[in-house]
Amino acid sequence: MTRNAHINIALSTICGAAALSGFMIATSAQANGVTAGTLIENTAVASYDDGAGPRTINSNTVSVRVDELLDVTLTSRDPGPVGTRPGDAVLTFELTNQGNGPEAFRLLANPAVAGNDFDVVVRSIAIDSNGNGVYDAGVDALLTAPEATAVLAPDSVLTVFVLVTVPDTATDTQTSIVDLTAEAATGTGAPGTVFAALGVDGGDAIVGGTGAIATARGQLVVGVASVELTKSVVLRDPFGGTSAVPGTIATFTIVARVSGAGTVNDLSITDAIPDGTTYAPGTLALDSVALSDAADGDAGVASDAAGIAVSLGDVTAAFTASVTFNVVID
Amino acid sequence: MKLFTKLTISLAASALALPGMSAAAQAAASPISLVGDVKAEKVITAPDGTERTELVAPSAIIPGDRLIFGTDYAHGGEEAVSNFVVTNPLPAAVRLAPDADPALEVSVDGGKSWGVLAALTVSGSDGATRPAAHADVTHVRWVLESVAPGAKGRLTYPAIIR
Repeated sequence: MTRNAHINIALSTICGAAALSGFMIATSAQANGVTAGTLIENTAVASYDDGAGPRTINSNTVSVRVDELLDVTLTSRDPGPVGTRPGDAVLTFELTNQGNGPEAFRLLANPAVAGNDFDVVVRSIAIDSNGNGVYDAGVDALLTAPEATAVLAPDSVLTVFVLVTVPDTATDTQTSIVDLTAEAATGTGAPGTVFAALGVDGGDAIVGGTGAIATARGQLVVGVASVELTKSVVLRDPFGGTSAVPGTIATFTIVARVSGAGTVNDLSITDAIPDGTTYAPGTLALDSVALSDAADGDAGVASDAAGIAVSLGDVTAAFTASVTFNVVID
Repeated sequence: MKLFTKLTISLAASALALPGMSAAAQAAASPISLVGDVKAEKVITAPDGTERTELVAPSAIIPGDRLIFGTDYAHGGEEAVSNFVVTNPLPAAVRLAPDADPALEVSVDGGKSWGVLAALTVSGSDGATRPAAHADVTHVRWVLESVAPGAKGRLTYPAIIR
């Protein structure tokens, strides 16, 4: 008898991200240089004495407008592969407008990455609307196709979530990568590529060192814990033998093994008392430690009518427990 | 011949100064003309892979780009002038390039005191002083004891957009 149970080890991941979000939101101005559209004006002044006294003259003023630099970086905010199970999972990324002008960025999630054990289905890309670093369903805005961020100020940092569904066919320890790409809405290309008049205030937009495109990978690892129960019986008849006769005591042993990865929630071992036998009161035990028959503080409860039940709670792989109880053949 | 040369210079000076109204008005009264320009340094890669630097009219200018600010002076008058000082405040959006002439006279305090960069210090917010860096320079200047009639020259400094 094998039961499959599921895990959720993503909790620690989420807590870690929340702890980081405080300083991630803080941004520093001017880290990426003079803001696009700034006018650089230069005037020289000469002073001299022409014999009649000191005089001063100005040169003409020359001005240069700083154009828009298109640069973007994208990183995974997950500290490692995100533990998941078949079903919904969230990958977290951080996008920074490294340019010097306001810019929107197109987002493209690619779940079909070479080497994947399985490919997820991308359900949506979401923006961390409330800035807490954690995806909140119904709060954080889902982008509609074609997915793109709002216009981001220079240096601003945005947390982006990719919401995926892990297929039911995924098995324990399998991994899958999702690539998220961000590209400047104005355009991308080799560094130095100029988009004439498409920058701030009609200035040019120039592709910076990042190519105005960035890709980051998020990784998922499936942790499916499986529970295996093995039941065995030993007979001891009234005559010292092992015959199944009235009065024979049958000792049942149920061994529960949790293998794979992760945690099984609310693991409970139950068994009915076989027809033609009667539960021997006071014989229920967990790992050779007696449990009372009554429904009380300990993990076990047993009766002839309802059978036995032992609650093991949440257990983490690898885990083994052994439940024993006796019945008497009628 | 000499007269002809002078005439050419003053004509050129006034023609160049015309777009700037105040400069034109001053030039009319001043024997010295001062004409500023700015060029961008761009590295051009030839098809064979060799690189050369060209001075071009600034276009597609972004942080980190290099600009050369130039000022042409010319003396169109009859008498020599003395104590000729050309002062150029650096625009806030640029910093002096690291390869600027080490002998260039600079100020790091808004033009109050002057010297070569290596001799200057700045004090931080904690009161401690440190050697001045190129990014601290607020002004550059050139000092000539005198300029003779007909003399002309070009003054430049390299800057990098912050």
